[in-house]
Amino acid sequence: MATIRVEGLRKTYGDFPAVVGSDFSVDTGEIFGIVGPNGAGKTTTLKMLAGLVEPTAGVAEVAGRDAGDPEMRRDLGFLPEESPLYEDMTPRSYLGFFADLYDVPREAARERTESTLDRLELEHRERRLGDMSKGMKRKVAIARSLVNDPDLLIYDEPASGLDPLTTNYVLEFTRDLADQGKTVVFSAHNLYHVESICDRIVIMNRGEIIARGTVPEIREEYGTTAYHVFTTVPVAGAERDHRADTERYQAVVDDMAAVESIREAAAAADGEVVDIRTREQSLEDIFLDLADETPPEAAAGGGRAPSEAAAEEANAQPSDGGRTGAEPSNGSREQ
Amino acid sequence: MTRSLREHLSAIRRIARWEIERSAGIVDRRTAALGAVALLLAGAVVGAGAMAGGVSLDRDIYRVGVAEDSPYHGPVERSVALEATRPDPDALRAGDVDVLVTDGRVRIADTPKGRAALSEFRSAVRSANVELMRTQENGSAAFPVVVVLQYVSRSSGLPDAVTDDDGGGGISGGDGGDSGGDGSGGGTATPTGDDSDAAADGGSSGPLGVPGLGGINPLGSGGSGSPAEIQPPFPFGSLVLAFAFLVPMNFVVQAYGSTMLNERINRRGELLLVAPVSPADIVAGKTLPYLGAMIVLTALVALGVGGSLVSVAAVLPIALVFLAATFAGAMFARSFKELTFVTVTVSVFLTAYTFVPAIFANVTPIALISPLTVVVRDLQPLQSVTPDAFLFATAPFTLCAGVLFLLGVGIYREEDLFTQRPVPLKFLDALDARVSRPRDVAILSGLSIPFVFVAELLAIAVLFALPVSLTIPLLLFVVALIEEVAKSLHVYAAFESGTFAGTRRVALVLGALSGLGFFVGEKFTAVAQVVGLPELALGQAAFAPAGIGLFSAAGLLVAPLVLHVTTASLTALGAKRDLRWYALAFAGSVVLHTAYNLTVVSRLG
Repeated sequence: MATIRVEGLRKTYGDFPAVVGSDFSVDTGEIFGIVGPNGAGKTTTLKMLAGLVEPTAGVAEVAGRDAGDPEMRRDLGFLPEESPLYEDMTPRSYLGFFADLYDVPREAARERTESTLDRLELEHRERRLGDMSKGMKRKVAIARSLVNDPDLLIYDEPASGLDPLTTNYVLEFTRDLADQGKTVVFSAHNLYHVESICDRIVIMNRGEIIARGTVPEIREEYGTTAYHVFTTVPVAGAERDHRADTERYQAVVDDMAAVESIREAAAAADGEVVDIRTREQSLEDIFLDLADETPPEAAAGGGRAPSEAAAEEANAQPSDGGRTGAEPSNGSREQ
Repeated sequence: MTRSLREHLSAIRRIARWEIERSAGIVDRRTAALGAVALLLAGAVVGAGAMAGGVSLDRDIYRVGVAEDSPYHGPVERSVALEATRPDPDALRAGDVDVLVTDGRVRIADTPKGRAALSEFRSAVRSANVELMRTQENGSAAFPVVVVLQYVSRSSGLPDAVTDDDGGGGISGGDGGDSGGDGSGGGTATPTGDDSDAAADGGSSGPLGVPGLGGINPLGSGGSGSPAEIQPPFPFGSLVLAFAFLVPMNFVVQAYGSTMLNERINRRGELLLVAPVSPADIVAGKTLPYLGAMIVLTALVALGVGGSLVSVAAVLPIALVFLAATFAGAMFARSFKELTFVTVTVSVFLTAYTFVPAIFANVTPIALISPLTVVVRDLQPLQSVTPDAFLFATAPFTLCAGVLFLLGVGIYREEDLFTQRPVPLKFLDALDARVSRPRDVAILSGLSIPFVFVAELLAIAVLFALPVSLTIPLLLFVVALIEEVAKSLHVYAAFESGTFAGTRRVALVLGALSGLGFFVGEKFTAVAQVVGLPELALGQAAFAPAGIGLFSAAGLLVAPLVLHVTTASLTALGAKRDLRWYALAFAGSVVLHTAYNLTVVSRLG
């Protein structure tokens, strides 16, 4: 059952198209990732889903309601990229305020707050938020998004700017939430996060969805496999493998026919193939390839240069103004 | 789904409660304790001063040597500035006393201080005489009224001699009537009737500049008195007390502006926007505590200065405008630095706007452009505030506050709240946020009327002191300028943001709607008539040309509509292109509007 239905969703700021006709749906209990570089339209899409930004055109429905319906927000937990807390409050008073705002009964709010803070292992619950570390603030922000026990969570870069330990903690926590039946939509430009927890993803670039599916599906559809063929004699296209203890050569080809050709060439030169390794493209490589292939005109609609487009969205949406994740991507994956 | 009123009120209440708690949390306990101690100390000092008869910087600065059995001893004792000492001629020579009263004669030290002491001594004696006269049963005998009749030709104005020849007091009647003529008045009359030295220059203190306009001492015990009791044309005492209502507001808006801007810093307000409450709920909830604080402070000041509920009710619209203007400023400002500029501007402008007209509370109906005038009148024992005057003074302020809140709430949304645009562009955004359909243009033009009204009243107040021959053309130009801005700015904002297609047909439709909306709204300026403002030449010039029912001819009722539609269409045609064309069209509209106003005034005025 689809919790979210998006059809022809479009948002323009003046002449600048931030999101160009998006279509996707998110099923209940699913973790859905929106991936893309800065200025891709991820944050704008999430904000349209949360009812913060009014679409220029198209449909964004959450649980059968229009995303702009205030009642829809009762079952929504939204986590922006930054953690804009009231720094003079304590975690308890801050969460109490939002529980009250969502009309959560006082006793239920107190129990839920303490339980969530326990799960997030947040101590110092009477300390001023302004005196807390970034990781602790992020945990409080996550706790706030859960204070109304929502069915849908929209997290914008939940691990943005956090250290690796806290990042892993946040990602695992998000996975647990999905296991509890909550639907999670989150954006990231760190693809490692996406691969590690998302059920399905869409890749956005310059406001447009350029790929969609599960991570294996995307890898199969858009990725390539490279074959690293090692021989004992030099053949055409092969280079000396200096890392090997013995004399050997390495050629990289992209299909089995080419591998056979190398095998034949090596045999003809009184040599042999000693090893063949396959290497699949990572999601990040696929994403970079796709992004390179997307012509600016196709996405921007008005032929703006990519840097200009990105700068404009960053200006219109400061929170999407971009920071890279703390963790390195997993790069190429050998099999 | 439409939320019920109860749900809205519940959300507002919750936000207001947390705003109070959060604001209280910002001040740590030590600071709060220190503040409370400082407040108590200040209260104790003021209270002690009040119990001791008030704080007087000139207390006992002059020494008067006078015997206890002398009739002068009582007046000296009652005077704050005089201190009675033993009558010793040697002390006068040694400079230990400034005035010496012996054997019914008054002598002074030949120094500037001695002469000043004599002046003060004379005032004290005069006051004592007046008090003595007030106790007389025969008031006519105690305060005889002298009427000077002077017949002049109807064709000429009042001769200067009327005001100059008789010492400046001759033209007024009633309480303020001077004896006229010699100027000696009763200034040096003494209980004994013997005061030759003091009478030497008594004439200088007799006449006052412009007697008879007020003639009421708000702090005095009655409405009758001698010429010495004549007050300046403005009710100084009430005015000072009325000012006390404004002072706390200037502090409250600083805190209010900060809390509103704080939501925009680091996108804090985003989380409130994503909660199941509307922007109006958020703004109302965050405003309510500060409005409450202002009401409480106003009530306390009213209690302190003796104001009635009328004073509190009249100050409430001022408080609302203070808050609304600060809120709008906080929505437009990009930083606390800009907010400081905005709040200081708001404070200075509103304080000046409300306070200055109130000076003339007893002089001219123009003063009622300020609700503070109502307060001043309320504080005067013999003045009353009629319901229509109250409405005239407070309605424009209340409507202005409403429209400012409306504009501010319009941009209390993610797309506007966190963008960094210059203040003028944010103002255009606020106007554009309220325009999504063509009819909104008419509504916004109509809603601009309170501001137009206030601006035109301000123009009258500023210009009314100038000669009428110069002022009226100038005023007609200013009126045209104000009204053309009101009719066209939101149309320009809508075109600039692309809300409407920039075609000639759309521009003409929007211009016609804007003119129509303004015309309908303008009818509400008829409220000006209830206090008789059009009876003034300037008031007639400002309000009559646009047609507020003063002209019976049907053509003249239609003429303002045609004018507004024409000029608004002209500016709309310019606005659809760009700023330069808008400016050109605007200038043309102002010229056309001014010409129309001049024609109406010169032919029919």
